[in-house]
Amino acid sequence: MLGGAFSAPTLMAMNHWEQATSPTIEGAAFSLSDTHRKIVAEIAEMIIPRTDTPGAKDAGVPAFIEMMLKDCYAQSEHLSFTEGLASMEQVKFLELNEAERRGVLKYLEQQTKEKMKAMPKGTPFWRLMKELTLLGYFTSEAGIKASFDYVQIPGKLENIKLKPNQKAYAY
Amino acid sequence: MNLTIKATKNNTFDAVVVGSGMTGGFAAKELTERGLKVLMIERGREIKHIEGYDTAMKQPWEIEHRGKTTNVSAEERWANSRFWGLGSEEVVNHLTNDKENPYIEKRPFDWIRAYHTGGKSMHWGRQSYRWNKQDFEANAKEGIGIDWPIRYEDLEPWYAHVEKFVGVSGQKEGWDVLPDGHFLPPMPMFAPEVHFKKMMTEKLSRPVTIGRIANLTQPQKVHTDLGRASCQYRSKCARGCPYGGYYSSLSGAIPAAMQTKRLSILHDSIVSEIIYDEQKKRAIGVRVIDQHTHAVTEFFAKIIFLNAGSINTAALMLNSKSNRFQNGFGNDSDQVGRNLMDHQLGSGAMASIDGFEDDYVYGQRPNALYIPRFRNWGNDKQTAYLRGFGYQGGASREGWESGVNADGFGADFKKSLTKPGPWSIRIGGFGEILPNPNNRIYLDSEKKDKWGIPMIVTDAAFVENDWAMRKDIIASAVEMLDTAGFKNVTSYDRPTHMGLGIHDMGTARMGRDPKTSVLNAYNQVHDCKNVFVTDGAAMASSSCVNPSITYMALTARAVDYAVKALKKRES
Ligand SMILES: Cc1cc2nc3c(=O)[nH]c(=O)nc-3n(C[C@H](O)[C@H](O)[C@H](O)COP(=O)(O)OP(=O)(O)OC[C@H]3O[C@@H](n4cnc5c(N)ncnc54)[C@H](O)[C@@H]3O)c2cc1C
Ligand code: SF4
Repeated sequence: MLGGAFSAPTLMAMNHWEQATSPTIEGAAFSLSDTHRKIVAEIAEMIIPRTDTPGAKDAGVPAFIEMMLKDCYAQSEHLSFTEGLASMEQVKFLELNEAERRGVLKYLEQQTKEKMKAMPKGTPFWRLMKELTLLGYFTSEAGIKASFDYVQIPGKLENIKLKPNQKAYAY
Repeated sequence: MNLTIKATKNNTFDAVVVGSGMTGGFAAKELTERGLKVLMIERGREIKHIEGYDTAMKQPWEIEHRGKTTNVSAEERWANSRFWGLGSEEVVNHLTNDKENPYIEKRPFDWIRAYHTGGKSMHWGRQSYRWNKQDFEANAKEGIGIDWPIRYEDLEPWYAHVEKFVGVSGQKEGWDVLPDGHFLPPMPMFAPEVHFKKMMTEKLSRPVTIGRIANLTQPQKVHTDLGRASCQYRSKCARGCPYGGYYSSLSGAIPAAMQTKRLSILHDSIVSEIIYDEQKKRAIGVRVIDQHTHAVTEFFAKIIFLNAGSINTAALMLNSKSNRFQNGFGNDSDQVGRNLMDHQLGSGAMASIDGFEDDYVYGQRPNALYIPRFRNWGNDKQTAYLRGFGYQGGASREGWESGVNADGFGADFKKSLTKPGPWSIRIGGFGEILPNPNNRIYLDSEKKDKWGIPMIVTDAAFVENDWAMRKDIIASAVEMLDTAGFKNVTSYDRPTHMGLGIHDMGTARMGRDPKTSVLNAYNQVHDCKNVFVTDGAAMASSSCVNPSITYMALTARAVDYAVKALKKRES
């Protein structure tokens, strides 16, 4: 029944989060399949793409995400994360072109906002992807050095005026 | 195998200090500087100033989980990780492993502990405020708990003494509610904070000042002599500061005591009992258990200072039973362990701030704003609750973190997060908790820890006065941010328990009457005059300001008295 007739977002809308299959995962044993790893890497790179500065993949974000989920998140998040990946698989995310992928993520973003209002038990997939991609990237060596004015030891504290196009400081 | 090494000459000192934290450190400094030979006994491992701060110079990417608490840490530090950030790899190994040092929560109590050299002084937020005159008088006026046996004037010179040594940066304001101290130059307020202060003064007549903080904005000779240097504004103080930029026992009191060559420190040594001599009618020493080998040793001294932190000090007293003190050492009044207080924490408000787009800051300020108590003060009279609260908080420009909740992804989104984000502000209350004999700790009659010491039971909770105050903490915070013209004002109210303020106190209170108190006006145990308790246990009420500077002032004052009394006795 799945086919090209429906756009990926529509397909996803039909497939309620709550009905998604919930594989049981042992907390500590959390790990991703190769396909899921690819999906994570592609989405992370779409959130933080390589431009004139390194992207999520360059900064090692995909592996960081998996490590963080395993070490710092609860089973409810492991579940919502794999559920999210399962629905990405369902819409054949890896086979979609760039524009279609953007459409899926935009849809996912709006849907997640609704979901977050209901205070779900496990943080939804998109929100996990986003928070871990940003954390992983903007605290990585490549990410910090390329994005910010990194000052390890400021030595003073001053009110200053922002110059045009000035980057944020990171410490 | 337990072996008891009997008294030898090597085990005898002029004074024993139990605990090397904020107050134990200060006691040791003051005692050694007055010529006494001191043994400081610390239950935890040794951390050396500077070289022991193993995460201090790590770059953000060298912190594997980038500040998040791992599931392993959350399990091992099940109590400590209830406080924001204490589960992070930056600091977690310096906090007590709760799994190995469990306590029993009859009612939940967020007990934050740091068993190592310096105790919690290594981790404190360094906010340093004097109590005001009313703080010492309110109990008597309102008929709450018992009257303090001292007044502000008794402590005033000792505040100055402590402030000069510690180094407190702050702004003199001339307010009765928050007496000025001996200050190093203040840290700056940020542009929206200056606006906030102006609006609060003009529209609500509520005072706002820059936080008074034990970080060196301009080190003095007394600081540089100990190798302490100016704060470098990294705001990574919780990891330990390699510059000695902020005060801790490690950077200040212990090095000062060491310079006298009269201080010995014993680590990994749990004081399990105070030894009372029934003939001499004095405490003659302490019994100590090695935390690794479990070997038991006794140490002897003319005077003993208890500075194990209010809960551990009370537990130690309760565990020290003798013919004379069958109910626990110094506990004729049955007040040891009772009247456990803290400051309520975890509620307030936040808002976004329009404008000030050109204003930015170089450096990280390890400090915030302080809004002293304005409730039940002056002409203000609340009917729903007694006493009051202060706020801490401040404004900052958001960073990339704001992207987590914002819509968007891709190249433009990525670029936008490299610019300073909009300003936002957050203030949170610290509320005074009243002494209440039913809020307490005691020892379990059966369960013991791995050293054979009875386990501590916490049995305390907020009562009506606290809940009514909390409502006002939230409502007043919202009112203030609204009045300042800030946007999207939202309140927050995190479910918390007592303990989270990390200002536990009151469990061996000072007072005038031995029937209702444990200590006299000089922190001396009423019924055993050569034992002094000068940590938070001594407090008869809690004020709403951060307490450590008051504990240190009480400590210095008690030492001065103790040494004079000892010299009199011996001459
Ligand atoms: C994150 C954080 C922020 C804080 N912010 C502030 C602030 O801004 N302002 C403020 O005023 N206060 C603040 N505090 C509180 C402050 O740290 C405490 O008030 C202060 O450290 C208490 O001093 P103390 O000597 O009583 O206890 P501690 O400093 O905890 O020292 C007690 C020592 O005794 C040892 N000990 C315990 N039992 C035994 C035993 N049986 N035998 C031998 N040794 C023992 C412990 O291992 C420890 O080293 C903060 C605390 C934390 C953790
Ligand atoms: S902010 Fe100052 S005191 Fe804190 S760690 Fe940095 S240099 Fe040290």
